[in-house]
Amino acid sequence: MSNLAQTEIAAVRTQFPSPRSSALVSSAAKVVAEFFEWFGNLGIFAWQVARAAVTPPFEWHELVRQLDEVGSKSLPLVALAGSAIGVVISLEARYSLSRFGAKSLFPATLVYSVIQVMGPIITGLVVSGRVGAGIGAELASMKVTEQIDAIEACAINPYRFLAATRILACILMLPLLTLAADACGLLTGWFAQSLVEPLSFHQFIESGFQGATFNAFLPPTFKTAVYGLIIGLIACFQGMRTRGGAEGVGRAATNSVVLASLFLILADVVLVKFILVVFP
Amino acid sequence: MSRVARLGAFIVATLAILAGGVFIIGSKAYLFRSTYQLRTQFDNVAGLAAGAGVQVGGVHSGTVHSIALPHRPGDKVIVLMDLDSSTHEIIKHDSVASIETEGLLGNQYLAISFGSAGQSDVREGDFIQSEPPLQMADLLTKASGILSSSQVAIGNVSQATAHLNSVSAKIDSGQGSVGALINDKELYSNLQRSTGSLDQTIVQAQAGVTDFRENMEALKQNFLLKGYFKKRGYEDSSELSAHAIDRLPQGAPAKAFTYLAKQLFGGHDSFKLQNQKSLNEGGDYLAKNPFGFAVVVVSSGLEGDSQKELELTEVRAMVIRKYLVEHFAFDDGQISTLGLGKQSAATSDADSGSIQLLIFPVGSEVPASEPTPEGVASRATIETPAQAKGGGSAKP
Repeated sequence: MSNLAQTEIAAVRTQFPSPRSSALVSSAAKVVAEFFEWFGNLGIFAWQVARAAVTPPFEWHELVRQLDEVGSKSLPLVALAGSAIGVVISLEARYSLSRFGAKSLFPATLVYSVIQVMGPIITGLVVSGRVGAGIGAELASMKVTEQIDAIEACAINPYRFLAATRILACILMLPLLTLAADACGLLTGWFAQSLVEPLSFHQFIESGFQGATFNAFLPPTFKTAVYGLIIGLIACFQGMRTRGGAEGVGRAATNSVVLASLFLILADVVLVKFILVVFP
Repeated sequence: MSRVARLGAFIVATLAILAGGVFIIGSKAYLFRSTYQLRTQFDNVAGLAAGAGVQVGGVHSGTVHSIALPHRPGDKVIVLMDLDSSTHEIIKHDSVASIETEGLLGNQYLAISFGSAGQSDVREGDFIQSEPPLQMADLLTKASGILSSSQVAIGNVSQATAHLNSVSAKIDSGQGSVGALINDKELYSNLQRSTGSLDQTIVQAQAGVTDFRENMEALKQNFLLKGYFKKRGYEDSSELSAHAIDRLPQGAPAKAFTYLAKQLFGGHDSFKLQNQKSLNEGGDYLAKNPFGFAVVVVSSGLEGDSQKELELTEVRAMVIRKYLVEHFAFDDGQISTLGLGKQSAATSDADSGSIQLLIFPVGSEVPASEPTPEGVASRATIETPAQAKGGGSAKP
């Protein structure tokens, strides 16, 4: 081979990347495309569900079943989680407050921590674990066994019957579950404190809610409706776009929980800032 | 439990929690109570925020509704507050609002003082007076001022201590007069010598005083002065009280002789015995009969100066005792004198007083003489046994 030919080959090689690097770029592009595709499909899904939800006929019976499934059946789990959080905050807060000599602020610290931060986020995560996985797995198995197609064949809109009821149930039930978690957290927090140092419940409530406003109580509680929307929407979406057999069902259930929890925490960042600005 | 019932129970329970929270917070924010609004203004609200508590007399009675910045540089920050209607009776036009802090780092709140009783009631939207808030920064500035002035003070104290140190060092080393006083032994021995000579001087002075007294005694016997003392009746005032008693002994006398002063002494202020013979009867009784105790009691009439009359009666008693002791044989330790001074209506002769010789039986207690300042007064008020018997003296 002449020198000239070698030079030309080298030039060509620099002009066109190697097959390995081109595969990397194309796979990265594919991931990016899938990411946006996922969001696009989610948007279309959300739009179809929203349209189906506001047009009659309404599936009241199915809604009540889902409210019960998401709300009442989650209550023991949420109450337990809230109670545990109350005890944990009580123990932690007393230790750190007594180091600063601000023990008298203990009730307020507990009330604010539970109501504003821990109650909503713990409720959201627990419900996303229990309900998100349930919805994801249920809808996915219906999808792979072609039950959803059967429903559609019966002239029933699966978005209305399956998705809208579940999402609405999540939206409505999460604030109520949060209230239950808050109440349990405050009770066990007070109980844990009064075991160490006697403190009447009345005094605990009086000094805990000293200077409290509705802005400190209602927005953090009702922001969990957004958590409910995220949990319901992602779980239904992941369940209804499942492909493949039992493996797909498992993947859908896992993805539902993981993505719902992730988006829930990300949404919390925005929501906290939003509440601080809008409800000072 | 049916599905619907379970759902209903869940919803009711959680909504009850919501209602409870709303009411707890609502009662703190006075949303469900009848309220009225008041305004006050500050140059600086020191971080007070809307929603902060308002305390009236230390009781949480309202909330800060809003805080508005002024529109012009010269104006003040206006604080609008909602107050519970029950405070309407307490807050008057002269109530003062001030911004306080709970603890050192706690929340800020507005404190309103009680109004005065006479002041007019506040109306919705009225302004009340305010007090500028005490800020940590101001407090720290003041504290640093105090610290620097105390530093100066401590500097002064240490200077003073240094001076004291040098002074005590000088004293210790014997410099200066105090140093000499403390360190010089000679000074001490001088002082000792001086004290010794002072002792001697005092002894000599005492001897001199004794000599002087003897000289004076001699002078009294001198013919030039003798007349005066004779006229006075006694030479030395200590003689007057030598045998005097303060009061009469308890119990009735066994025998009493009563004489009129006019009979015995003649003149009104005389103390020379003129009619001694009349005393002989009493003297004989004393000499012949055993007795426990006898007192010569002399009183004067109401005329004349009290002090002089008291002295006169004492002198008269002494003169009579002297006569009796000199002319009759009995133990002179058993007879005493008692000058009563002026006595009202003791005898029929109010003019010149009376003399009594009271003789008490054997076994009578001799009253101890107590030279008290009230002696004169108590003596003046003593009733003689004759008086106690209504003037009817037992004449022998």
